[in-house]
Amino acid sequence: MKPQEGERERDQDEQQQEEREEEQQYEQALHPVIADLCYHLSRTPSLASSSRNEGDAAQDHRPSSDAGADADAKNAAPRSKRPGLPLPVAAIRVLLDVIRRSRAETMMGLQADLRDASDVMIAFAKRGGPVPIAATTSAAPSTKYLLANRSHIALSSSCELFLNHVTRSSSHLETATPHFQSQLLERGTRFVEFSLSSRDRISSVASPFVREGTTVLTHGRSKVVEAVLLRAARVEKKRFNVIVLEGRPDAGGAKTAKAYDEAGIPTAVVLDAAMGYVMEKVKVDMVLVGAEGVVENGGVVNKMGTFALGVLAKELGVPFYVAAESYKFTRLYPLNNADLPEMGKLDGGGLAFLDTLSWSVNSSSGSKGGQGKEEKKTEAGEDGSLNACADLSSYVVNLSPSVSVGNPPCDFTPAKYITLLFTDLGVLTPSAVSDELIRLYQ
Amino acid sequence: AILTLGHLYQTHSLLGGNTRCRAMLQSFSILLKSYTPPPSSRDFRHDVDHALLKPAFQYWTTLCRPHSVSMGNAFSFLKLAVANLDRDLAWAEARELLLESMEAYVTERIEYAGKAISRHAGSKIQDSGDVILVFGKSEVVNRLLLDAALVDKKKFRVIVVDARPLLEGRDTLQILSRAGISCTYVLLNALSYLMMREVTKVFLGASALMSNGSVLSRIGTACVALLANSNHIPVLVGCETYKICNRVQLESITGNELGDADEVACADCARINPSNRWGGFMSGAEDEKKETDVLTDWKQQENLKLLNLMYDLTPSDFVTGIVTEVGILPPTSVAVLLREMSPQENNESAFKGTD
Repeated sequence: MKPQEGERERDQDEQQQEEREEEQQYEQALHPVIADLCYHLSRTPSLASSSRNEGDAAQDHRPSSDAGADADAKNAAPRSKRPGLPLPVAAIRVLLDVIRRSRAETMMGLQADLRDASDVMIAFAKRGGPVPIAATTSAAPSTKYLLANRSHIALSSSCELFLNHVTRSSSHLETATPHFQSQLLERGTRFVEFSLSSRDRISSVASPFVREGTTVLTHGRSKVVEAVLLRAARVEKKRFNVIVLEGRPDAGGAKTAKAYDEAGIPTAVVLDAAMGYVMEKVKVDMVLVGAEGVVENGGVVNKMGTFALGVLAKELGVPFYVAAESYKFTRLYPLNNADLPEMGKLDGGGLAFLDTLSWSVNSSSGSKGGQGKEEKKTEAGEDGSLNACADLSSYVVNLSPSVSVGNPPCDFTPAKYITLLFTDLGVLTPSAVSDELIRLYQ
Repeated sequence: AILTLGHLYQTHSLLGGNTRCRAMLQSFSILLKSYTPPPSSRDFRHDVDHALLKPAFQYWTTLCRPHSVSMGNAFSFLKLAVANLDRDLAWAEARELLLESMEAYVTERIEYAGKAISRHAGSKIQDSGDVILVFGKSEVVNRLLLDAALVDKKKFRVIVVDARPLLEGRDTLQILSRAGISCTYVLLNALSYLMMREVTKVFLGASALMSNGSVLSRIGTACVALLANSNHIPVLVGCETYKICNRVQLESITGNELGDADEVACADCARINPSNRWGGFMSGAEDEKKETDVLTDWKQQENLKLLNLMYDLTPSDFVTGIVTEVGILPPTSVAVLLREMSPQENNESAFKGTD
């Protein structure tokens, strides 16, 4: 599986090529874990910027990994058919496989194996997680990025939690290898099941908060938030409005707007910059966002813009809710935005926002009039190719390299701006997060 | 030994939670070594407690200086250790166990905790460019700054803020500057100017942590935390877990300790008339006369009272994070720590030696 050379042109082409070669060597050296990860992810559409080419990814895998994973693929199949297997859960499945394949005799050895595997995955994700896709429909083969524009926090926290959980009661386990392996596998599988069902649990605790006739403001693309709002609309049959911030540079908001619209919820998409204006003008009743990670002091790391939204909500007296699974709880402790750890490749997938045309007011769908805005062209966000609409090419501003462009994917919202967190452990106040963390990492 | 320590406490020669606690445990060790229970005693634990520990502690607390929370917790630990001793043990063995457990207490809860705190807090100090503000003298803070500078080789500046009458910051200044850290020294009055300009982080020490997350510390600390908070500068408080107190204190005055009021009155630099300040330099003999401060006769004034408080309370809102040996925690989680620790305290056996 060799990463293809043909990616879209950028200014730092040579540097990129060097990096690609490095990655290639790195990947070939530590292939099994990454292959596993991609395999698990490829069973279902991934959460990354939604190119729908995943099926191709599966063909690129070496047969050995397929054979190895086949045994639990059958178990995994019914679950994995469910759309949207989150990256952290796929990672946990990979770790389960590591336990199965591990030939370690002792708990320490097994822990070391697991830790190695998670380090590999995290390092891979930090580099943006480039997954080569064979050339199929597109003329030039490209790389898909697993973590385009998001952070790797959830991945590392879920690996850490799994490690902790599985090896926690090791002291009283017998060291008879086959027995404890199966016990560990059992614990691990239960953990995976718990994580998989977390979205359902979150939506059931959170949807009562969405009251009839209210307006909900949301930011970014979170499957959890989608689950909550869709449940409120479909299952609880409530009528409410949703306002979505468009979500540059990956147009996450515009994508979720599509989902809400299909469920029949009246949706409006506005500019990110309009968050304050719209909060006052339309009298927003609550703000609901997802999270990349929930940190020890109860704050959240989420898509860029959440911090501003939080401050604004507090100022205007609008409750600010965060919906997050418990495997996103991490022992990080950022003091403020300046203290956030490095998020890895910032514009994985080449999402330099200058090029991003997240909207296409597509003349071909002009028949729908205003609806054209909500129809998000997936390619436009991803590789910045202007294939979506030639109309807007005249509006693109080309800046000289002396202008530095910054595009960090995530920011940190301190706990004091957050009203409540909806998690699969229940509804928590920000100060209770540390309590849970101490318990989870006991 | 008891009298010596009492004297040291009273004259404020020993300052600082850790120092006083160590000294107390040390003198208890000395006492234990020289003590033999009367042969007629049925239960030497009772004797040790009543004849030895309690009176000593009471003497220090009532006659010399009220005990700090760290001393209090250590003393409870010691009493618990005594109570957990097996009745049938010979005195020599029992004494050994007690001495060992006191050693272990100091090593684990103070020394190792200090190392762990350095590690956790050190991760928050950036490799270069930080301007760190500290107040007074705190063993934990000094240690973590020294580790960051000498071991991790990070480059940062320190601003030492000091306040009368104890002026403990001078010691901090000495320790840090000897280690090669570039320091600035100011008094508390200059604080607002500095906060707005340069400071990136504030590290404070603590005498005790209340279970609602408030921090009891040397007087002046609350000002520093307040000002940092209003300028959006993160405040980290370094405190070992043994200093957690299950009391909740709502404001500074309750239960506070009064220091010597004369210390407030007498100041080296005060003069009666500012204009005479320079005149004082010229003739040394006249200095003696001019030493009389405005407040020397405060005791004769009927309506004048001088208040020299030793501690103040920083509300938990002003603290961004508390660095303990288990990690960095939000102040609201102190109660959780207490809960996690107390079942352990009960099970913590003095039999570590026999295991």
